[in-house]
Amino acid sequence: MKKLTLLILIGFLPYLNASAQVLTPQDSLNDNLTANNIKSTQISGYGEAKVQYDTRFQTADADLTRNVLYVGHKFNNKISFFSEWEVEDAKVAGGQLGGEISLEQCFLKFNLNRDNYLVAGLFTPRIGIMNENHLPTTFNGNDRPFVETLIIPSTWREVGVGLYGDIRAIPGLNYSIGLVNGLNSAGFSANQGIGGDGLFEGRNATASNIALTGSLLYYIQNFRIQASGYYGGSAGLTQRKADSLQLESGPFGTPVGVGEFDVQYLTKAVTFKALGTIVDIPDAYEIDRAYANNTPQEMIGAYAEVGVNLLYFFNKTNERKFIVFGRYEYVDMAAQTPADGISNGADRQKYIVAGITYLPIKGIVIKADYVLRVSGTPNSLLNLNPFGPQPVYYTSNGYLNVGIGYSF
Amino acid sequence: MERRNFVKNACIYCLGATALGATFAELMSCSTSGLPIYKTGEVKNILVPLSLFAQSKVVVVRPSNSEFDILVVKKADNLYNAFLMECTHRENPLTATNTGLYCPAHGSRFDLDGNVTQGPATEPLQYYKVIINGDNAAINII
Repeated sequence: MKKLTLLILIGFLPYLNASAQVLTPQDSLNDNLTANNIKSTQISGYGEAKVQYDTRFQTADADLTRNVLYVGHKFNNKISFFSEWEVEDAKVAGGQLGGEISLEQCFLKFNLNRDNYLVAGLFTPRIGIMNENHLPTTFNGNDRPFVETLIIPSTWREVGVGLYGDIRAIPGLNYSIGLVNGLNSAGFSANQGIGGDGLFEGRNATASNIALTGSLLYYIQNFRIQASGYYGGSAGLTQRKADSLQLESGPFGTPVGVGEFDVQYLTKAVTFKALGTIVDIPDAYEIDRAYANNTPQEMIGAYAEVGVNLLYFFNKTNERKFIVFGRYEYVDMAAQTPADGISNGADRQKYIVAGITYLPIKGIVIKADYVLRVSGTPNSLLNLNPFGPQPVYYTSNGYLNVGIGYSF
Repeated sequence: MERRNFVKNACIYCLGATALGATFAELMSCSTSGLPIYKTGEVKNILVPLSLFAQSKVVVVRPSNSEFDILVVKKADNLYNAFLMECTHRENPLTATNTGLYCPAHGSRFDLDGNVTQGPATEPLQYYKVIINGDNAAINII
């Protein structure tokens, strides 16, 4: 393990120094392209709101889904600061349910050279599409893809360091590797998987567990192709406590593995996206035994989406976009259940999403869509109050959503 | 083989294979692979030999004291554009190919005219005028 880790690190060393193709010397003057050491502070942000109508219960909800304020500061050409403050559901009041204030990202960025940079702090590793690319003006539908909310818990951020760069020998090829704190298996659950309380998100995270992430991202013609992976521990306990719970301790103890592959085809007229992901929790049996949280052993998800910008066919230079899209998603949060877990049909879901996305100008979006959710039948064993009125659950339900989004 | 060991080994080997493969690709690369890169010192007017465009319609110019590279695009025999390879969204460095420029950080895309084709960036790339000066394309950095 140590030898292979060293080999991996050595393998990436060539990219920390830009390999030079010096062709012709050039006389130099004193002026710079970009003035050095100019400090600057930037403020921007994004947000979204929606109204949702539940066609089964015939009720509607309105919500300011999120507002994010970005504050960045450039200390010099080598070092910058990035932060994103997020408020969900508009209001956080003590004792009341709902609402969240959190730091979505907060890190220092160090430019090693023009091809590579290092980040340190709270950041979103490159896993999936949404984890980095989640501005409302960049995806179709009022809701982020359910696969990338339930299986890959976007936005998934942890504390650590990450190295990013491009491999110049192959135009369009980028890489990322990261070392972050691990997960919290005590917070896993059947209907949220490794998300929810399974993530520390920068708050009092235990660094007794660590995780490695890595990705390769390749641009060719109009395609964007990415493969990413994650492997990390989730016990976060001293050896004595872990032993008492019969969990494996250590940096990668009680491991979780995540794999993801996606392809995007993006033109001004047509867009196509497809993503598949798998989460493997080999010690789910032990986690369930320790915490009785019904942790799944395996989760899988996939989706495919097609969008057509109708305005392009009337005017190819039109900056406005009117996109008609359709997306199919498959989410199985109980692909494999350990022997001491309880499989729930409701955790296997299919989504069909269809709608329109209208961008009158860059940075503003108006969305309308219909979401059909179809799931399996809930397991009655999970109903903890069998003698009281049971909540109604429809295995098929439709939602009408109308919303706005902005980014600047 | 136990599932746990399989997953563990698979991840380790995938990371190792990625590193080894990328290293091998880098070591085997020669001037004919990748985009042409022209390194130059600090200048206000950069002269890029037109001969570089014989092998590629885009050339990456690397001024030694600049934070970002410049991409020079041959549009026609006597028509060239130059853009700063800095994403206008969060100032991240862009990746260039023969078909466009891409920001791997948040997904912005720009065409070879420097215009935004995919957000979240909303502003086009910083443009520099290019004029033909003998056998060179002269980039005027203001």
